[in-house]
Amino acid sequence: MEGSIMEAGRYIGAGLAMLGAAGAGVGVGLSALGALGGMARNPDTYGNLLTSMILGIAFSEAIAIYCLVISFLMLFKVV
Amino acid sequence: MIVGCALGGGFAGLGFAGYPAVRPEITAAPERLIEEPLFSLPVIGDFYLVNTLPTLALTIILLGLLSFFANRSLTRSLKSDLVPRGIGNVLESVLEMIYNITEGSAGRKWARTVFMWFATIMIYVLFANLLKLLPGFESIGVLHEAHGEGHAVEALGGPWFRLLPATTEEHGYILAPFLRGISVDLNFTVALALIAVVAVQAIGFRALGSGYLTKFFNFGNVFKVPFFGVIDMFMGILELVSEFSKILSFAFRLFGNMFAGIVLVAVVSSLLGMISIVPAMIFMFELFVGVIQAFVFGILTMVFMVMATSGHGHEDHEPEAVEEAHLI
Repeated sequence: MEGSIMEAGRYIGAGLAMLGAAGAGVGVGLSALGALGGMARNPDTYGNLLTSMILGIAFSEAIAIYCLVISFLMLFKVV
Repeated sequence: MIVGCALGGGFAGLGFAGYPAVRPEITAAPERLIEEPLFSLPVIGDFYLVNTLPTLALTIILLGLLSFFANRSLTRSLKSDLVPRGIGNVLESVLEMIYNITEGSAGRKWARTVFMWFATIMIYVLFANLLKLLPGFESIGVLHEAHGEGHAVEALGGPWFRLLPATTEEHGYILAPFLRGISVDLNFTVALALIAVVAVQAIGFRALGSGYLTKFFNFGNVFKVPFFGVIDMFMGILELVSEFSKILSFAFRLFGNMFAGIVLVAVVSSLLGMISIVPAMIFMFELFVGVIQAFVFGILTMVFMVMATSGHGHEDHEPEAVEEAHLI
């Protein structure tokens, strides 16, 4: 009985940890929004904006990756 | 200890009929190839032969070979007709791109110093990230007897065994692969982060001398303008804390991305092992993530170094730059 409660807690915790991906999604969307707006106004800046946009996306995505790692750790009983 | 080897198809995306994919043991720490410690030091503790060590040696050898052949190719072209060919040409174009990015934000004075760190870290992390996508990584290794949950094995003849997908509670085996990507080891990423952050401080001291310390301990204005002086002091403490958090964010960004990558590949291959195309797609995504993370690690080092070389608050390099522009 206790084991199955632990099991349920692990799955629920892994699901809850992935809530953090919502913030990362907003962050990725905002950086793409800004970059696309800039490209539409001034198409010449395409190359510069693309590099900075991918950098910004990598930063916000790292947050989602932290959540993913935490939920993996819970799911597979690593720690 | 079992000395056999195992073919677990899981990580390599080898999920075709007859060799169903196996979900390997997922551990955040690198696995030990030999259970007994290699040697032990009095204070630090035991040293084990972990499976990121062979990969580290492989990475260093590959990078050494690359630089040797590039050097030879460039020397040859320097002696004949000054036209770079082959591997030297490829490397030159990559390094030129990195140098132009560095010069754009660091200025001509510090570009050479900062460029060396940027290029070294970026190429090293790039090799570390891309090597772990090769077939054979995470799939061939030594079989250990499992203490908890393990896999059943099937003999293939000789010392070779194959893991079966089913897990058992007793008399199971787990696989400790011979090779595991070095960026999936927290030791590697923390070491690299420490090197990068210490180098940032060293370049800050080289550029500003002892004046670099006023970035952190800014007591100059406390008695002249008390209110803003206290704010400056508080900002200095924040800067000091942010230097330490740089180490953490550097280390965990790379480790987290790469660890999530191997877990994603393992889980997707064990779920959809019979349809090999899906793990292959994840591998393509891993290729993208590996390149991006190498670039991010390098460019962040570069940006932090540029921030350390430029002084705190006042811009005293501006007039020189204007004069130079007039001369040109």
